[in-house]
Amino acid sequence: MMMLYENFRLALFSLKANKMRSLLTMLGIIIGVSSVIAIMSAGDSISVKLSDTMEGFGANNIELYLDFREDYDGDYWYDNSDLMDRDMIKDFAEHFDDRLKAISVTCDVGAADVKDGSKVAKVSVSGGTLGTFLINDVKLTEGRFFTIGETDTAAKVAIVSSKYVEIMYDGKNKDALGKGVDVEIGGKNYKFTIVGVYEYKDAFAGMGMSSGDNVRTNLYIPYQTAQSITHDDYMVYFTVMAKQGVDSVQLTKDMEDFFEKRYYGNNERLHVSAYNMSSVIDEAKSLINTVTIGISVIAGIALLVGGIGVMNIMLVSITERTREIGTRKALGAPNSSIRIQFIIEAVVICLIGGIIGIVFGSGLGAIAAALMKTSPMPSLRAIVISLSFSTAIGIFFGFYPANKAAKMDPIEALRYE
Amino acid sequence: MEGESRKPIIRLTDIRKNFFIGTPNELKVLKGINLTVYEGEFLAVVGASGSGKSTLMNIIGALDRPTSGGYILDDVDVISAKDSELSGIRNRKIGFVFQTYNLIAKTNALRNVEMPMLYAGVSRKERTKRAEELMELVGMGDRMKHLPEELSGGQKQRVAIARAMANDPAIILADEPTGALDSETGRMVMDIFHKLHKEQGKTIVLITHSPELADETERLITLKDGEIVGEREGHRYDDAV
Repeated sequence: MMMLYENFRLALFSLKANKMRSLLTMLGIIIGVSSVIAIMSAGDSISVKLSDTMEGFGANNIELYLDFREDYDGDYWYDNSDLMDRDMIKDFAEHFDDRLKAISVTCDVGAADVKDGSKVAKVSVSGGTLGTFLINDVKLTEGRFFTIGETDTAAKVAIVSSKYVEIMYDGKNKDALGKGVDVEIGGKNYKFTIVGVYEYKDAFAGMGMSSGDNVRTNLYIPYQTAQSITHDDYMVYFTVMAKQGVDSVQLTKDMEDFFEKRYYGNNERLHVSAYNMSSVIDEAKSLINTVTIGISVIAGIALLVGGIGVMNIMLVSITERTREIGTRKALGAPNSSIRIQFIIEAVVICLIGGIIGIVFGSGLGAIAAALMKTSPMPSLRAIVISLSFSTAIGIFFGFYPANKAAKMDPIEALRYE
Repeated sequence: MEGESRKPIIRLTDIRKNFFIGTPNELKVLKGINLTVYEGEFLAVVGASGSGKSTLMNIIGALDRPTSGGYILDDVDVISAKDSELSGIRNRKIGFVFQTYNLIAKTNALRNVEMPMLYAGVSRKERTKRAEELMELVGMGDRMKHLPEELSGGQKQRVAIARAMANDPAIILADEPTGALDSETGRMVMDIFHKLHKEQGKTIVLITHSPELADETERLITLKDGEIVGEREGHRYDDAV
């Protein structure tokens, strides 16, 4: 313990005595460690950012859509009888009732520009079920959702975005309620009554940009209302939300099987494909991991080269200090303590290089995090890994020179000029 | 001999050292040295270069092993000691003083003196206390924190002597300690050896090629071609000054 302290002190002295040389020696370690730290914290930031974004879309959401079979190589066409209909969805909903929290069936009516004097709000009219609001994470800031009565009777009611209210009513939500929206779609005019306002989330806000007033926001109407306009009774896709705790991967598979067994087993062209957001997140994360590992390998090579540099300078150092080694041996230093002295010196070079690298790399990571508007991740894991790696490099590359010093013949060493 | 009542510290019996063994160039450097040094003795080994005195010093200093022969140092059989034990013997039994001082650079005088105690596992507090006492003893009490490069040759050698004393060794082994000094500072260094010998009762083996210096000691051994060719009492140091 005492020797350890003395050796650390000694190592620091000898580094101080050769500042420039020590710094140059450390450079390889500094570059290696700072790139490891930078890439790891940047990678972590991206992962977190990605998870946040994706979870906004809903990791529990599963999209079901009709897709051509992989082994189908005929013409890519289908007719209405191939599509999903309301009865199918009903049957599906009953079958999976215990595992589903919500079902969103949508029906796009079309885009329109709502005008009031000089004010223009761009909307796209979309029919949805109550589940649509839950699944798309649409939250009301004013008013209410559609009532059962309104959906059953295909009432002309609408829920508009806060963006719409911002443009048309100076952001006064209360003023919007009960007001009419005149929309022209396909040459026909429709009038809806606003019953609710939802909070519009700017998808670009997180990236430091704003989409401005030109953005087209959804204007939700009841699904039945939309159908009464489009007369389109078939569906190509719909979305469900699994209950909390349900294995969404298994559910995805079960739902595909359900449609295969009951409805699409005999259809040679089409089948229902279920698609879960969490698998996208996993894929993206594994991609980031791969990139991180790749860059870490390059950083590892930098560390390796740095380690060889440390070994080189340690060999120079012990040659320069041959007489000192001889003297220490004459004074009674056992070989082991000479060996430890020089290993510790190598470790100290690597550790200091590592610490500088961590500071440097954290700075780079923080800049990256600031650019992505995420909190800089103080990746403890990366720091611990870097420090242990630096120590390991010091021990590994310090061992050979230290051992050479330990095995020096004291008589030869004392005579060395 | 008068030494019958005194304790032998060094007992060398028939020490031989050959180099390049088994080759046509085989060199017999020491050809059967028998030497006993008693506790508290101040002994000089003189000889021209090539006489084998450096080799003898290395063997006495447990830095080297003889090809054959016996060596007992302060009741320890050095010949049968393992390599790993030799460092301990050097550390506790022998205090080296070199011609070129060999202080550790960038390390202040006090820490240089502490070094043998460090390897002996003495606690930091005790080390510092003992080192300070020794620095006072060699008259370097006011230069404890000086680095070797800030000291003159004579001062360096005094620090080296203090260092040699650190673990209170059985012998001080001084190899041409005044060889690199002018006569005045050399005199001062010799005075310290005499002081250690008289006041502390240290056993000192001085290796030198200078007959004048050797003459100050109690006993002179003359080495020639690897053999002891002469042994006589020195003129008393007191007579010399």
